[in-house]
Amino acid sequence: MTRSFLELSQLTTRFGDTLALDNVSLNVTQGEVVCLIGPSGCGKSTLLRSVNWLQPPDAGSVWLDNRPVGQIPETGGKRAHWRNPDLARQRAKMGMVFQNFNVWPHLSVLENIVRAQMVVLKRPRAEAETRARALLDEVGLGDRADYWPDDLSGGQKQRVAIARSLAMDPVLMLLDEPTSALDPELVSDVLGVLKTLAQRGMTMLIVTHELGFAAQVADRIVFMESGRIVEMGPPADLLEAPTTDRLRRFLDQLSTLNPFADAPHAPSAVATGA
Amino acid sequence: MKFDISYTFDALPRLIEGAAVTLQVTLIGFLLSVTLATVLTVARTIWPWKPFLVVLGIYVSFIRGTPMLVQIFLIFYVLPVVGIDIGPMTAGILALTLNSCAFVLEILRGGLASVPKGQTEAAESLGLPVLTQWRKVILPQVFIVSIPPLVNEFTMVLKSTPLLATITVVELMRVSQQIFSRNYHPVEVLTGAFVLYFLMCFAVSRGSVLLERRLHVRRA
Ligand SMILES: Nc1ncnc2c1ncn2[C@@H]1O[C@H](COP(=O)(O)OP(=O)(O)OP(=O)(O)O)[C@@H](O)[C@H]1O
Ligand SMILES: [Mg+2]
Repeated sequence: MTRSFLELSQLTTRFGDTLALDNVSLNVTQGEVVCLIGPSGCGKSTLLRSVNWLQPPDAGSVWLDNRPVGQIPETGGKRAHWRNPDLARQRAKMGMVFQNFNVWPHLSVLENIVRAQMVVLKRPRAEAETRARALLDEVGLGDRADYWPDDLSGGQKQRVAIARSLAMDPVLMLLDEPTSALDPELVSDVLGVLKTLAQRGMTMLIVTHELGFAAQVADRIVFMESGRIVEMGPPADLLEAPTTDRLRRFLDQLSTLNPFADAPHAPSAVATGA
Repeated sequence: MKFDISYTFDALPRLIEGAAVTLQVTLIGFLLSVTLATVLTVARTIWPWKPFLVVLGIYVSFIRGTPMLVQIFLIFYVLPVVGIDIGPMTAGILALTLNSCAFVLEILRGGLASVPKGQTEAAESLGLPVLTQWRKVILPQVFIVSIPPLVNEFTMVLKSTPLLATITVVELMRVSQQIFSRNYHPVEVLTGAFVLYFLMCFAVSRGSVLLERRLHVRRA
């Protein structure tokens, strides 16, 4: 049986009475950029966090690159624990970028990027540092290697976090609202880095409210509501001709909040970011 | 009776020897206590097994709810009864460790609460093994925020060491007693001890202020 590059099948996650994920399945091919959109609380973060098993679901399985990340056998509700001996290595193949950066404040920018390379990939320090510096150059922070994270702006911290993930040579990037904690003028730097990544063929799963950005980089947009995937398709179809009322309402709401958000082809700060 | 400072100076060499013992038991007891508390903190977080947590809770409330002098006597007299023969020094250090550990546990609990969950999640998502997450990401941040209360706890341990005189550990207080029970000049001798205790505590808290300032300059 051949599997998709990333295969999420029948993920179900409950938090008490809340059904955060309701039997969600999604396949992603290599090199594909998928943007997840949907109203607050619909389960976008939960879905993303089950991909690298940071938040193991109550049921379902995740496969990456023909190997399991995690799977929970159906045992009638009771959570059976199957420990994946390969989990750490599978995780290292997925870079995760968080809304609030989660850069480590007690380590310098360079050390933030060096540590996991040395521990997980067993790279010698010199090699890890070379790689870290190259990545910092790429995200436009070549001169910030010896700074403390607390001395950086939000946008810079987020780019450090992206570099930290990229240092592990991931085959998949998971990004949870990477720009929503940023001041508007810092957003474009981060989106610019992500666009470059997308152009280079990185497979990405991005939760975002930046519809303009999604329209530009996404091969596919997935719209979620109440723990389910309601609609998905190429940005042009989905954003311009939504087939469900729910998506239409969601897009209307976003556009009243942000007059530029629903016009993917309108010039915006995003478009100049790259 | 007039205060004659020459008695203080005469006593000083032996007082300093006593202070060295005080410092030694404090350091050993405190380091053991921090080590033990760190291990217990990690253990109770990654392995929150109910009976284990209950036992820890009981231990902490017993230590905090009983006089330290009683704890010291208990360890000193009970251990030989159950066949473990340790000298007063070891018993004293053990008592300091077990007592202080209860307080350090609470300090570390607070420090741990101040580290955002995302810090660990970042480490976890990069594939760092659990213990490495603790060593490289969580514990350093816990200790940085815990410096002031830990230093305070160190001085508390130091100030509780005179209690060990009661089980014949020859530390600063007991040395003082030995001296003034011969020369009948308790005021002069105790003044010397008083100043030495103060200097030790003062040096430690000054040192910590400098250390903290350095860490803050580094991270400001
Ligand atoms: N750790 C948790 N404990 C309890 N409930 C949770 C937890 N995490 C998520 N939930 C609930 O699960 C549902 C889905 O949450 P999730 O964070 O995935 O939504 P989201 O789509 O990412 O929302 P947002 O756009 O606000 O980030 C919500 O109802 C949320 O309250
Ligand atoms: Mg979310």
